[in-house]
Amino acid sequence: MKAEHINPFINSVSEVFKSMLNCDVKVGKVEISEPKDCDEEQYIIGMIGMSGTARGVISMKFPEETAKKAVGKFVGLEFETVDSEVIDGIGELINIVAGNAKTKFQGHSISLSLPTVVKGSVYKLKNLGKLVWLSVPFSSEVGSFSIEVSFKPVEDPVKEVENASVSR
Amino acid sequence: MQVLVVDDSQIMRKIVTGALNKVGITDTLDACDGKEAVQIVSQNPDIGLVLMDWNMPNMTGLEAIKKIRASKNEVPIIMCTTEGEKEKVLEALKSGANDYLVKPFSPKDIQAKLEKYVK
Repeated sequence: MKAEHINPFINSVSEVFKSMLNCDVKVGKVEISEPKDCDEEQYIIGMIGMSGTARGVISMKFPEETAKKAVGKFVGLEFETVDSEVIDGIGELINIVAGNAKTKFQGHSISLSLPTVVKGSVYKLKNLGKLVWLSVPFSSEVGSFSIEVSFKPVEDPVKEVENASVSR
Repeated sequence: MQVLVVDDSQIMRKIVTGALNKVGITDTLDACDGKEAVQIVSQNPDIGLVLMDWNMPNMTGLEAIKKIRASKNEVPIIMCTTEGEKEKVLEALKSGANDYLVKPFSPKDIQAKLEKYVK
């Protein structure tokens, strides 16, 4: 994954938080994501897959407190627990962030999967394509969170589809 | 005016309904996918506006618009989606959407769009 490919996702997070949550975010240092075996913190993680002329995954990882505050600001309510609305709200946030980011890749035609949201403390990102994951931390008035992105342009999308169909 | 809000996200339906309330519309209906939207539109002739998400399970917003237009129903439909590329906008408009609002949007953006259709 090239470093330049992370910028549309960083800009998208900033834009979505500004326009839909009226919230400024501060961007931290971009790093290669290293999986951790164990973490005390409980997270809410939204994920979306990308396919088409580029493939990959974007995930947004929120500590529970940040998730409740972010979705609360999104919809104008206060949440005491991580309920179905908070889970739904994180799914919609990742959907909007990914949708907005893909419009920034000119010359690409990228399709998004429906979002998946998971809750837990053990979090390992791995895929079969040996893609590098980049991690970007953000801080904001609703708390800290991060995104993790793998993104690779497909050199020959038609050939890739043909190969995929042969392997089935 | 009765307005149908179609989105698979419960939170997004709440946000859009809140924006409708701010422009004086309290008579709203909800649908969580395109299939349900087509059914509700066919059963409620008083619906005066539809706000339609694109990517939803069971039936997409685009498919729902095509089905609604195929039934000769001319209710105004605003596509309200993350699909912001020019080709997507044109595809929706050609399929029968009257207007387009790209997420992310601010409360002001959606209220301005709604005011065009609220009588």
